[in-house]
Amino acid sequence: MNAKKTKSWSLEKTFDVLMWVLLIAACLLIVIPLIFMFTSSAMPARDILRMPYPWIPDGFHWPNFWNALRGPEGDFIFIRNVLNSLIVSGTVALFTVVFSSLAGYGLAKFKFKGRNLVFMLIMATMMIPFEAIMIPLYMVAMRMGLQDTYTGLILPFLANAFGVFLMRQYLITFPDEILDAARIDGASEPRIFSTIVLPSSGPAVATLAILAFRSQWDSLLWPLLVVQSDEMKTIPLYITKFMAETHSDEGIMMAVAVMASIPMITLFLTLSKYFVSKEGLTSATKG
Amino acid sequence: MRQSKGFSMERKKARWGWVFVTPSLLLFAAFSFYPIINAFYESFFNRNLLSLRPPSFVGWNNYTYLFNSREFWLSVQNTLIFAAGTFIPLVVFSLALAILIMSISRFRRFFQLAFYSPAVLSSVVAAMIWLLIFDPRGLANQGANSLFGTTGVNYNWLSTTGMLRLSTIIVYFWKYIGYFTVVFVSGIGSIPETLNEAALIDGANRLKLFWYVTLPLLKPTTMLVSIMTMIQCLKTFSTQYLFSTAGAPTRPINVITLNIYNTAIKDYRIGRATAMSILLFIVMFAFTWLQLKVSRTEEVSHM
Repeated sequence: MNAKKTKSWSLEKTFDVLMWVLLIAACLLIVIPLIFMFTSSAMPARDILRMPYPWIPDGFHWPNFWNALRGPEGDFIFIRNVLNSLIVSGTVALFTVVFSSLAGYGLAKFKFKGRNLVFMLIMATMMIPFEAIMIPLYMVAMRMGLQDTYTGLILPFLANAFGVFLMRQYLITFPDEILDAARIDGASEPRIFSTIVLPSSGPAVATLAILAFRSQWDSLLWPLLVVQSDEMKTIPLYITKFMAETHSDEGIMMAVAVMASIPMITLFLTLSKYFVSKEGLTSATKG
Repeated sequence: MRQSKGFSMERKKARWGWVFVTPSLLLFAAFSFYPIINAFYESFFNRNLLSLRPPSFVGWNNYTYLFNSREFWLSVQNTLIFAAGTFIPLVVFSLALAILIMSISRFRRFFQLAFYSPAVLSSVVAAMIWLLIFDPRGLANQGANSLFGTTGVNYNWLSTTGMLRLSTIIVYFWKYIGYFTVVFVSGIGSIPETLNEAALIDGANRLKLFWYVTLPLLKPTTMLVSIMTMIQCLKTFSTQYLFSTAGAPTRPINVITLNIYNTAIKDYRIGRATAMSILLFIVMFAFTWLQLKVSRTEEVSHM
């Protein structure tokens, strides 16, 4: 009996060790490309494709980053393109939060005729993938003269069905007593929304804002359609052009990759709980 | 008197409800409903992006053209190969990783974040990193050579049909594995602890516990993840686009979205491109509808 117990105990122990080994191995495999990106961005091109790959950079090769900033034409357009991405992603995130929380609040806390129909219609748009409507949208944008403008890049993404859904679910549990008390005190509806409802929706708002920001930061297809000039390019477009033209210097390439990722990495390191939050998880269809 | 006052307050509230939903509703009308209706309409015309002649009605011609086009069927095939090749390993491995994470008691958060980290990069950056890894002198060949005990073999990651497809699958798999691991972790986390304890008291070992308790309870999550991955894979674009821009052969990775883009922008054939969009829409509509149905049943099962 006693011997058997020790045996099963040691079995458990081996099991544990096995789990850890597998986890660490998987972790390494997944992180290796990231380590490759960071280490190679600090190496001169001749070291990056050396066999075997010299994992530790021999000093920091600054020219990669300088040349990446300067760009092949020396016009520092990269910086402008990063700014474009920040402007577009930031604006979309901001307005997505505003419009989604307005609609989510309206659907959660007001009874009106046709409410269910409105909710169903909004949910139905989740079934329309952007890829299916991009050509008609593109023609609308052309007719409205929105090519090569921030408006053209931003406008189609301000309404976000998942955002409305998220905010509605979040606000549906908001206590009615607080809202009614504010009404009795004479607060107007817009005031109740902006001073009571919105400030207390922090987690949902943060999740939604990050989601919207990320999807625009990552967006390639729509900018490919509406942007023509180099000045209006976003980061994914800059990288695409960079890969098509100068496929030569690998060090500069990886410096571009690192710099293009810094905003998202910073967000991830500071706000990781909103990246990996339960609300955000059901959102894959929008990614 | 009192009743009528309450009644008018209700009316006033109802009006405010409309005020709050109207901005979103207008945006959805302009940027979702109008374009999809317009896409149906355009798919019956032969509009050319550059031609000044007004487009003429061609009936089902765009669709019959597509159904008879080898190029179209190739892109359907490419998309299906990519989707099947990505979503099966993604579901299997993310489930396995989630179970591994939940079986340890410390550093769970750390592993989740580490696995998730590739998802933080944008798709083009991910494709860019892997283009270098798949270089003939890159890490992929070095790794494969040491794994298979060969020396100096070039596995042609970016040139032969099969390997190129595999490469795009690897990029996608790498980027999203952590995401779905986290989904499964929260699925496992929502299984009531009392169930596990009851099973352990009844003498189940960890393997039995997994097989008879955890796995059946994860069925809804697995279904949800499968459909979500499938939907994502069907609309894959960035990896394929960047690989082909960087010089890889386009044909084996010419997926349906890439085909739509090229048909509209390079060939100027709007009608044909929208017809393709509509076909994609129908397939994805079916999957999304399925997802909404499944996620509803899952919510119930977690109560």
